[in-house]
Amino acid sequence: MKIIDGSQGEGGGQVFRTSLTLSMCLGEPVTITNIRAGRKKPGLLRQHLTCLKAAQEICEAKVKGATLGSTLVEFIPGKVRAGKYHFAVGSAGSTTLVFQTVYLPLLLAGSDSELLLEGGTHNGMAPSFDFIRQSFLPELEKMGVMIEAELERFGFYPAGGGAWKAYIRSTDKIVSYQNERRGELLSLTAVATSAQIPGHVVDRELRRVTDHFSPICVDLNKRLVKSVGPGNILSLQAKYEEITECVEVIGERSVSAEVVADNAADKLKTYLSSNSVIGEYLADQLLLPMALGAGGSFTTIEPSLHLKTNAEIIQAFVGTKITISKLASNSWKVLVS
Amino acid sequence: MKTVAISILGTVLDKRGKRGKRWDKWRPTVSMFQHDDLMIDRLDLVFDRNSQRLADQVTEDIYHASPETKVVHHYVNFEHPWDFETVYSELLDFCRSYTFKPSREQYLTHITTGTHVAQICLYLLTEAGYLPGKLLQTSPPRKNSAGENETHSGKNQSSAGEYQIIDLDLSKYDQIASRFQKEHKEGTSYLKGGIETNNPAFNTMIEQLEKVSVRSNEPILITGPTGAGKSQLAQRVYELRKHRGIIEGNLVAVNCATLRGENAMSALFGHKKGAFTGATTDRPGLLKEADQGLLFLDEIGELGIDEQAMLLRAIEDKRFIPFGADKETSSNFQLIAGTNKDLAKYAHEGKFREDLLARIDLWEYNLPSLKERPEDIEPNIEYEIEKFASKSGQLISFNKTARDIYLSFSQSPEAKWSANFRDLNASITRLGTLADGGRITAGLVKEEIDRLKTKWKVSKQSNDNPIEMTKDLIGEARFNHLDLYDQIILAGITKVCRNSNSMAEAGRTLFNQSRTTKKSTNDSHRVRQLLEKYGVSFDELNR
Repeated sequence: MKIIDGSQGEGGGQVFRTSLTLSMCLGEPVTITNIRAGRKKPGLLRQHLTCLKAAQEICEAKVKGATLGSTLVEFIPGKVRAGKYHFAVGSAGSTTLVFQTVYLPLLLAGSDSELLLEGGTHNGMAPSFDFIRQSFLPELEKMGVMIEAELERFGFYPAGGGAWKAYIRSTDKIVSYQNERRGELLSLTAVATSAQIPGHVVDRELRRVTDHFSPICVDLNKRLVKSVGPGNILSLQAKYEEITECVEVIGERSVSAEVVADNAADKLKTYLSSNSVIGEYLADQLLLPMALGAGGSFTTIEPSLHLKTNAEIIQAFVGTKITISKLASNSWKVLVS
Repeated sequence: MKTVAISILGTVLDKRGKRGKRWDKWRPTVSMFQHDDLMIDRLDLVFDRNSQRLADQVTEDIYHASPETKVVHHYVNFEHPWDFETVYSELLDFCRSYTFKPSREQYLTHITTGTHVAQICLYLLTEAGYLPGKLLQTSPPRKNSAGENETHSGKNQSSAGEYQIIDLDLSKYDQIASRFQKEHKEGTSYLKGGIETNNPAFNTMIEQLEKVSVRSNEPILITGPTGAGKSQLAQRVYELRKHRGIIEGNLVAVNCATLRGENAMSALFGHKKGAFTGATTDRPGLLKEADQGLLFLDEIGELGIDEQAMLLRAIEDKRFIPFGADKETSSNFQLIAGTNKDLAKYAHEGKFREDLLARIDLWEYNLPSLKERPEDIEPNIEYEIEKFASKSGQLISFNKTARDIYLSFSQSPEAKWSANFRDLNASITRLGTLADGGRITAGLVKEEIDRLKTKWKVSKQSNDNPIEMTKDLIGEARFNHLDLYDQIILAGITKVCRNSNSMAEAGRTLFNQSRTTKKSTNDSHRVRQLLEKYGVSFDELNR
């Protein structure tokens, strides 16, 4: 039985989810203590419970402490069963976080799986569906992991109501991942997505983005979509030969379209100005498949607390060595052996 | 355990149009499902049939916010939503027809929606236990509030607002509970007269009595041997109640043994001028004097049967007829009765009304004798010393040896404490008075011990009930083992033995007839043989 101190590092939901994923993949029971200790609302929140229940469902785990506010969870995984699953997530949760918790165990379960995920798909509390499909899955593919994702409905905060499917092709071999060069910049793309809000909002966002990157030409995409509730998200993508970086900013009430565009542009500029390949959000998510597979290395911008925490938990569980070393200002190398 | 919320559909606040903009607005019923730390498994949504469409929309939106939640519709008729009576009875009917399963479900009554009248009704129903749960109060988002946020965007303005779960069981709140606890402790300590008693049984009893004194107006019966502190306890209950503002009137204490004949009736219930010879003025009577206060009737077993009947009526109806009056009068008093008698036995023998007993022994507290509380003798000695000191204005203390001797004697089987605290009080008063310079010496204590022994020996002998005396001498268990016939005979023998200085003397009394016809007499031998039959010795009886 592994014992993980849930308050280490970023000390939030990520420690909890990573522990569940590893426990299922390795078939090793885990006790997570001090869950979200020191937070304003300590212990499990609904979104964490949703992930826990999804994890429990795919492997028929024996679970203790699965209640709101619980700060101690004991998770004894059974055999992971591939198959069709449907997870409905409330507006307080995020479908992509549920996906990230369960995709690895399902991948390694011996046969293909299909997930139907209902709830928020673009809600700003986690990477959006677009991020998963455009940035994350292509990198997984390089490790030999084949997952197709298909959006059915958009779901924004707070109404939710979105849905997407993930087809996970089973594999028993995750190959080594190497990514230390971006290659040539192929294109810059801006996608402004909105539902049930005035049309000028996305126009203003895109106009402002153009101003930011002028004279470089940005492909502008306007997506006016249907959704249960209103919502707006601006996504900027820098497509290189070897990587697509994706930054996103959610449009909110009382935040002007221009400010949304400014925030997104600033994030992308930070990435563009460095030589590192992997952006902040992608970095911590790549560690898990690498550690469970054949390792590898990549370069990244300044490591976030999330990245460091994930590295620590993985090392505690798997014994894989993960080194994070500084190459230059705003360029770091992550090596998973 | 499932969490079930019961909410009235808000026809104003829950109704924010059909457009997407409704998600920007705070909608109380929907907001319950938008909190990341509150999970509701089922919503019982209560609404008028006219609001069906709104209810359907809210139900769908709740599905998106919380797909795990089941929403159940309940129809009520809120034709006059501002009329207290109809709203209350509609909601009461709803509660009555609802099958609550408190062992499997916990309930939250949502009190933000509906008219003020509906909210008041929900509150009242929850407080009265018809809705066996807690209140769930939701409130709109605070302006400019930046709450904790674990989001990537950094700020996600929420229309969820805030919520608070209110448990009407006030003892559940730490802060309030600790205040209750403190007051309870103060009250308990007060009832003990500030004496730090150690006897667990006594302490438990007083702790309960504290709660009862503060919460109940019902009669209290205090039993226990003479001098165990019955009237002091009644006095303290009165003071505690007065201090807490529960009663306003006076404490009226009377010993029923002093009430005899016609005097008893008029003393208790009063009389009109001219009711009998000598009744020259109106007399209100003790019950009337205790109006809004507390009446302590000590030795209630001594009350005459007629007075008992009147008293019963006065307790039950708060009304009685003064002697010689033609109109009833009323008095609202709390009764504390004291007795050292077995009232159940009295009732059985017809000396005490059973119905009155049933009425006054709702709360029965048996004060143990001092001898049964050996661990409390020391703190009570301290208390008596201080009391004497403050009365006499002189500091009194034992020297170490004296203290040890006195304490060890006072807790030994030799110390009978037959008059309980009265004996202890008298003993300390004697010691304090005789102490030169306020120092109680070993010599003084030894003298006092002799005095006490003599006193108890005398009081033992003066016990004129030979059955009780024999029981005391040979122990209750052994005594009860004997047939009644043998008990009676042994009691008679005991009486004779205790009045004799030797076995021979007892024999002469016991065998006064037969010995005259015998040639040779060995009286002591015959007594020994007689006693052997009962398994007791002469010395045992003649202690």
